[in-house]
Amino acid sequence: MIMWFAGLILLIVKLAVVLGFLLFLAAYLVWVERKFLARLQIRYGPNRAGRYGLLQPIADTVKMLTKEDTIPDGADKGLFCLAPAVVAMTAMLMFAVVPFGPELSVFGRKVPLVITDLNIGLLFVFALSSLGVYGVALGGWASNSKYSLLGGIRGAAQMISYELALGLSLVPIVMLARSFSVVDIVQAQERYPFILVQPVAFVIFMISAMAESKRIPFDLPEAENELVAGFHTEYSGIRFGLFFLGEYVHMQVLGALVAVLFLGGWRGPFLPPPVWLFIKIILVVLFMIWTRGTLPRLRYDQLMTLGWKMLIPLALLNIVVTGAVVLF
Amino acid sequence: MPTQGLLFDFLAVALYLLVGVVFAVVPLILSSLIVKRSMGAKREETYESGMQTIGSAWIQFTVAYYIYALIFLAFDVDVLYLFPVALVYGSYPMRDLVEVLIFVGILSLAIVYAWCKGVFEWQHQK
Repeated sequence: MIMWFAGLILLIVKLAVVLGFLLFLAAYLVWVERKFLARLQIRYGPNRAGRYGLLQPIADTVKMLTKEDTIPDGADKGLFCLAPAVVAMTAMLMFAVVPFGPELSVFGRKVPLVITDLNIGLLFVFALSSLGVYGVALGGWASNSKYSLLGGIRGAAQMISYELALGLSLVPIVMLARSFSVVDIVQAQERYPFILVQPVAFVIFMISAMAESKRIPFDLPEAENELVAGFHTEYSGIRFGLFFLGEYVHMQVLGALVAVLFLGGWRGPFLPPPVWLFIKIILVVLFMIWTRGTLPRLRYDQLMTLGWKMLIPLALLNIVVTGAVVLF
Repeated sequence: MPTQGLLFDFLAVALYLLVGVVFAVVPLILSSLIVKRSMGAKREETYESGMQTIGSAWIQFTVAYYIYALIFLAFDVDVLYLFPVALVYGSYPMRDLVEVLIFVGILSLAIVYAWCKGVFEWQHQK
């Protein structure tokens, strides 16, 4: 019983640390993105609140907290309120299976540095990423606004299409690691990270991940010059804040997934494991911001063509080729 | 009670969910306590570029999105079968490879069919 409580307390500590870090980083990613994007466009970016604009995330939070949030006339109230929470929650929950270090040994107790090592970790991630679609589709539909509706259905169609490519690109990884558990997958990359043996899967995963996060060049669900703000046009105040938080947490989670599935997770010389994971996440996120600063938005048919005619067949081919190579 | 095992794993997920809900709900409550409420008839109108809102948004939209949802359904269920296969892949080397080839081959036919049917072309309404 005492052991059980000790385990529970340990779990709560890990939860607090991970969630705190996740939310703190989400707030500062906004700053990083604005600053980095500004530099790419030869601007200064935020530089009024605090030195280098470092207090900007706090100012933004306070502003969102104090803004009135309205529910539009004729909206489906329940779903309208639920949607931002779904987006934020699914993004946060995905982090539960990401390991941030090897198993530690404290006072003779084994402490795995992961919130929970589910033996179906990858399926858990897919399930949550599918649930995330609901947040976008329902949020857009429930607003009862034309822009939101268009954004919502665009988002739904785009996300389910790219989810296929996302899932298929990971089948070879499961073949190599022989496990769904994310901890085991990191373990399997002891000798070399999977990006070296699965470059095609890496590229497919990276593109689909960017499409899943609905960022430029795949930001059609919120294309601001045609749909105002897309699926979250009618959201204001802290509810909009939740959508925003969800987006940035999602970016981190995708960064973390790329890191653990392809870049060897927490492995790396000299520095402590969590630092390595952090560096890899930041590198992936910076790459996503850089892409945003470089590429224009795709047209909708181009988006679907890329997903269905290129990525999915390529992913299927990759499965067969990997299957053959693994055997011989 | 065990500190390892499936039950504890999902307890962790449940706890995570709970803490996450708290993180999401606290700002909502906090915000509802401190925001100023404005009054006015137009306050809750949906945004339509400054024009007066015309009608409801819950109208018909192009069927193309729906078709994507349909092929996704057909495809995704099949793709799920690939995962358990990948897990035990290599137990019977030659047989596994041939079976995966057959499965992926049939799966690809779904895409070929949709491709030939022109599902992936964006059709403009006349």
